[in-house]
Amino acid sequence: MVDTPSVDDELDDLLPSTPLLDDETPFATMMASFDEAAHEIGIDKGVYSILRKPDREISVAVPVRLDDGSIQVFDGYRIQHSAGLGPFLGPLRLEKSLKVDELRALAAWMTWKCAVLGVPFGGSAGGIRINPARHSDAVIEGAVRRYTACLSADIGPDRDVFSPDVKADERVMAWIVDTVSQHARTTVNAAVTGKPTSMGGTLGHEDAVAQGLRVILRLAIERYKLPAGPLRIVIQGTGTVGGNLARLLHQDGHHIVGISDVSGALLSKNGLDIPSILHWRSQGGALDAYEGPCDHADNAELLSTECDVLIPCAVANALHSRNAARVNTKLIIEGAHGPVSAKADRIIHGEGVPIIPDILANGGGVVMSYFEWVQNRMGYSWILPVINKRLRRFMTEAWTDCTRRTDERKVRLRMAAGMLAVERVAAADQLRGIYA
Amino acid sequence: MSNSPVALSANQELDEFNPFLSMAHLFNQAANYLDLDEGTREVLRRPERELTVSIPVSMDSGVTKVFTGYRVQHNFLRGPCKGGIRFAPDVNLDEVRALSAWMTWKCSVVDIPFGGGKGGVICDPRELSERELEQITRRYTAAIMDILGPDRDVPAPDMNTNEQTMAWIMDTYSMHVRRTTTAVVTGKPISLGGSRGRREATGRGVMLCCREAMKKLGRRPENTRVIVQGSGNVGGIGALLLYREGYKVTSLSDMYGAIINENGLDIPQVLEHLRKHRTLEGYEEADRLANTEQIFQECDVLVPAATENQITSKNAHNIQAQLIVEGANGPTTAAAQEILDERGVVVVPDILANAGGVTVSYFEWVQDRMGYFWTEEVVNTRLEQAMVKAFNDVNDAAKKYDVSLRVAAYILAVERVAVVYRMRGIFA
Repeated sequence: MVDTPSVDDELDDLLPSTPLLDDETPFATMMASFDEAAHEIGIDKGVYSILRKPDREISVAVPVRLDDGSIQVFDGYRIQHSAGLGPFLGPLRLEKSLKVDELRALAAWMTWKCAVLGVPFGGSAGGIRINPARHSDAVIEGAVRRYTACLSADIGPDRDVFSPDVKADERVMAWIVDTVSQHARTTVNAAVTGKPTSMGGTLGHEDAVAQGLRVILRLAIERYKLPAGPLRIVIQGTGTVGGNLARLLHQDGHHIVGISDVSGALLSKNGLDIPSILHWRSQGGALDAYEGPCDHADNAELLSTECDVLIPCAVANALHSRNAARVNTKLIIEGAHGPVSAKADRIIHGEGVPIIPDILANGGGVVMSYFEWVQNRMGYSWILPVINKRLRRFMTEAWTDCTRRTDERKVRLRMAAGMLAVERVAAADQLRGIYA
Repeated sequence: MSNSPVALSANQELDEFNPFLSMAHLFNQAANYLDLDEGTREVLRRPERELTVSIPVSMDSGVTKVFTGYRVQHNFLRGPCKGGIRFAPDVNLDEVRALSAWMTWKCSVVDIPFGGGKGGVICDPRELSERELEQITRRYTAAIMDILGPDRDVPAPDMNTNEQTMAWIMDTYSMHVRRTTTAVVTGKPISLGGSRGRREATGRGVMLCCREAMKKLGRRPENTRVIVQGSGNVGGIGALLLYREGYKVTSLSDMYGAIINENGLDIPQVLEHLRKHRTLEGYEEADRLANTEQIFQECDVLVPAATENQITSKNAHNIQAQLIVEGANGPTTAAAQEILDERGVVVVPDILANAGGVTVSYFEWVQDRMGYFWTEEVVNTRLEQAMVKAFNDVNDAAKKYDVSLRVAAYILAVERVAVVYRMRGIFA
């Protein structure tokens, strides 16, 4: 996560992984909007109460011998939220200040997200409380392997599937596959997604979220009748999501009139030279040191730049109560997780600017994880055009379902997505019944 | 349906109306054409495994009642067993046995990698609460757990069981094996691993068989009059798809009676009426007709899609159609078939014509194993490929052996199983 200091002291504008409200846990905060959705669809209280609690929470002690020979015991967790729609899928986090309640929130979030996108998983999230910056690779590997072994009865392709997270990259995913496979005495590469392509990873993994956002943008242009021809687009972020998205949209002929990284932003009314900027970034250059035919600015200016579409792909709460009114765009697409704070959401909505919510818009990653799992199960890998075509199918279906609900129930897209999610998971739980 | 379906009876009158005896008779005919030795016949005739289980259930009234359930696995040479589970008061082992064999031949005709199985529980669903039905289903599933599984035996819905029943089976199995196992059962709701296009699959198969048979007869759909007996999942959807193909569907029926319009029915309108009123009665743009008269009306194609024993030695002479596509199981008796053969009426037999359902069940199983789900168009395209190939295979066999499509279907089915039997040999 990018560690920029918050300019605001307002509670709802704090950076992520901090409780958003003093008296509420992250889980409760996250669930609040889904409580609303559940209320809106009038779901049976008993059925919904099942979804208010994770199915299972596992806590394990992870002893590791450190490089100096001493032993340290780390805490490991896996929260499995709801198995109604299928095996669990969720990230693994390596974080020094890992909070169980955040994992709960993340696990539930995964359940809803998978449901909206129509992929057959329930949500989970797990992690090891370890500071990756302070330990050697050998210690981290030891912790990941021991953690995996501790959970071996609860994970696997049909039980619970790990996906990567910021500090848990493809190398970590490879260790997990190896540990699970060694225990099972058989190759189990579907136990994990985000693997290196050489061992069952899928093509198209790197820019999956960006590809998904691109599909959503196309659909949104049609729905909101944005001008034909090249659009003026502002993207916050140049990482995996923002950078890849800029590249794709530039290829599509749009004008990227603003882009940023942590150091600052670049603006140009006639469109930036994206290939040159991305090349500069790939050489390790920060944007504030980039030299080219464009203006330099800060992130605040970037977000208030006049444009047709604003796509924040960097941090949570990028748009908050103090800067929301300055937004000068016709459409916002949430590329990051929660880039528009609850208060900002109300302000922007009041001005009639549609917001495509994260749960729908940035679902390309979850869909790609699903595709990797499918290919591993078949033992047959798809070529890139097939993958992109299928990604288009899933994003389009989710979009169609959400917008149809919006039109039918006269609710906002975010609410419509929440309603769909709760409805789908609850329907599966109801069909399966309570086993005893 | 007879109480003792495969018991040999000296009474010829009864025999004609026992579809299972007809099937046994057809198996023998096919075995003769294939010149199978007695040992092979015996292997293919007998179920490989039969399981009877007691199902204790604590009823809503507080008393405990013990039900009886069966699962018969007729043959798993070509793959895991496939076949429905029915809940009915008159379920009995003989019937389940016969139906399981039927499934073996049906799966073989459409060339999907399954053997035949069938299951049932003796109970009257009309007298059971939802909770009691769930308990029966779950306990029955737990009791037959050891012989179930995606690679062992894959049940499906049948009489009085539905998507919900399949969801309970999937959940019970998954909880026992501690992993999500959608492929253990087919006919599930789409949200739990079901396949798109399954509801329409049998009707679509009927339409495809009709279309292929018409091609062989050198006829076009335009101005071809079709009578469909039934209006449910098979008849109703079959009629709709035939209508869309350009056929003139003149008559449809439900349990209360039939409707007829010589100029052709507006099928979408009829089905809308049926959906609203739950009966065809009161549909105004057609004349009423008694069910007993419907299938004898003038037409080119007859699709019996209701129940067995509709075309018998007593009435086969009065059938006007030149083509019969059997949507139901066993609508034509063996004696009636002989009469139709003499008259040159072409009959696309049940194990081919209504195999669209089991084919999409197979697709559901494949999709569950992959974890990837096809769009409806993909399902329909693959169903079409499977049905057209099966039809042509049967048609070729009919020419090769100079027999009816029905006998040809059995020859093909039995041969495919026998070939695998010879290759696999006897394990010991």
